[in-house]
Amino acid sequence: MRGGRQAVTALVTLVTGLAVIACGSVALAVAPHQTEGTAARPVAPSTATPLPAAPAAPNATATPVTAAVPAIPLATSTPAATSAPVATPVALAIPAIAVSTPLIRLGLTSSGRLQVPDRFDVAGWYDGSPPPGATGPAVIAGHIDSVAGPAVFYRLDLLRPGNRIYVHRADGSVAVFAVTGVGLYPKDHFPTAQVYGSVPGRQLRLITCGGTFDWTRHSYLSNVVVYATAVS
Amino acid sequence: MNNALPSTARRAVAMLAPLLAALLLISGLLAAAPAGATTATGWIRLAHLSPNAPAVDVYLYNFGNPDARVVLHHVSYGTVSPYQQVPAGEYTVSMRAAGARGSAKPILSTGFEVSHGRAYTVAGMGPAAGLRLQVIDDSITAPAGHALVRVIQASLSQHVVTVSLGHLTLHQLGFASVSTYRTVTAGHDLAKVTGKSEQTSMNMPVSADSIHTLVVLDGSKGLRLTDLEDAAGSQAAPVGGAATGLGGTAPRPAPAPWPWLAVIVAGALLSLAGARRFRAARTTRT
Repeated sequence: MRGGRQAVTALVTLVTGLAVIACGSVALAVAPHQTEGTAARPVAPSTATPLPAAPAAPNATATPVTAAVPAIPLATSTPAATSAPVATPVALAIPAIAVSTPLIRLGLTSSGRLQVPDRFDVAGWYDGSPPPGATGPAVIAGHIDSVAGPAVFYRLDLLRPGNRIYVHRADGSVAVFAVTGVGLYPKDHFPTAQVYGSVPGRQLRLITCGGTFDWTRHSYLSNVVVYATAVS
Repeated sequence: MNNALPSTARRAVAMLAPLLAALLLISGLLAAAPAGATTATGWIRLAHLSPNAPAVDVYLYNFGNPDARVVLHHVSYGTVSPYQQVPAGEYTVSMRAAGARGSAKPILSTGFEVSHGRAYTVAGMGPAAGLRLQVIDDSITAPAGHALVRVIQASLSQHVVTVSLGHLTLHQLGFASVSTYRTVTAGHDLAKVTGKSEQTSMNMPVSADSIHTLVVLDGSKGLRLTDLEDAAGSQAAPVGGAATGLGGTAPRPAPAPWPWLAVIVAGALLSLAGARRFRAARTTRT
C-alpha cells in the first residue's frame, strides 16, 4: 500500500518533469530571436520611401566632368575674398529626406567630445567649425533616434551624391550644398582629420549615428558622415 | 591522449586566427571607405592676375571630354574664382578674349594634372605682353595649431614689394612671383605691403589650421591687398565620434535562452528523480 503510493508520487514527479521539459523547449523554440526596430527602417534606397529625384543628380550617361563641374559662380569683379565673415547658420533643409529643422549651436563637452543636441527633432552646428558657406568643413550633427523612435537625421544615410542641402543663415542668405559622398565609420576609428581637418573650398559634413546598436553600452557603434560641397 | 584535444584545438585556432584577422581587416576596410571616396577628386580655382591684360573668358576642359567644360565669362584683373571640386585627371585651361567664340583660337592654353586630394590655382600672370598661364600648387594642410601664409605679387606699378604679417616678413618680392608657404602663429595681425612709392595694410585674422594666399594687386587708389583663404579646418577637432542615437529604432537583441534552458534542465532532473523513485518503489513492492 505504501509502496503503491510511493510509485504514484514518483510517476507524478516523472510526468511533471517531462511536462516542464516540453514547456521549456516550446518556449525556447518560439522565443523571438531578434525583435524588429520600432520603425520599419528601409535597408536600401530602392525599398525606401521614394526619394525625390535629386535636382542635379548626374545621370549615368552624363560625362563625369559636367556632372562634377557645375558652372563656377563668380563674384562679378571683386576677388573672392573668402575671409569675409559669414553669418551663422539658423536652419537646415534637405528635401530628399524630408528634413527641415532649426539649427542650434553645439560646442565641446568637458571631455573634448562633440556636444549633441538635447532635443531629437533639431540638428546643431558645431561652432568650432567654419560657418556653412565659409572656407573649410562646416559640421552639423543630429540624432538618428531617441529611445522612443526616429529623430531628425533618421534617414541621413539614404542621401546620395547630387542631393541638395540648404543652410539658412542669420542674415537671410542661403548656402546650397551638393552631397558628394556618404561614409560609415566605427566610432573608435572615427576619421577626425577627414571630417574636421582643413580642406579647400566651402564644404559641409552632416553627422549622425549608424551601424549596430550596442545594447550593453546603449550606444551605436558607428557614425554616418555625409560629405557635401558648396554649389553657390 | 590528454594532450590530443588541446593540441587539436590549438591547431584549429592557429588555422582560424589569420582567416579571422583577414575577415576583420576586410570588413574594417569596407566600413572605412566612404561611398563617395571611390572617385578621386581634386580642387581647381581660376584667377586673372595680369594687371594690364584685358578681361578674358576662361575655359576649363577635362582631357578626353572636350564637350564637358566650365566657362568663366569676362574675368577681369584681380578676379579669383572659388575652388571647384573636380574629378582627378588631366585638364586644359584656355583663355580667349572676352566674348570670343568657344571655337576661336585661344590666346593661351595650358594642360595640367589634377591629383586626388590636391588643390591648384591656375592664374593668368605677368604683363599683358608676356601673359602666361601658371599652375600653382596650393597647400591644404597646415602644421597642427598653426597657419600657412604665402604671397602672390601681382602689382605691376610697384614692381618689387615687401610684405609683412606679424613676425613674418617677405622681402623684395618681384612682380608675378609666388612665394612659398610660411608657417605663422594664429591670431589677429596687421598685413602690410610696401612698394617703392606706395603702401597699404589691413587687419588679417588668421585662425589655426588655416591656409592663406595674400595677393598684392594694383588698385584704383594704389596698392591693394587681398586675403584668399586657400583652406581652413575646425578651431578644435572633437575627440572621437558623436553620440547621436539612443537606439529607439535599432533592432532589439535576442532574449537570453538561459532561463528556458534552466527550466529544461530542472524538468530533466525532476523526471530523473521521478524515474528513480518509481523504480525504487517497484523494487520495494516485490
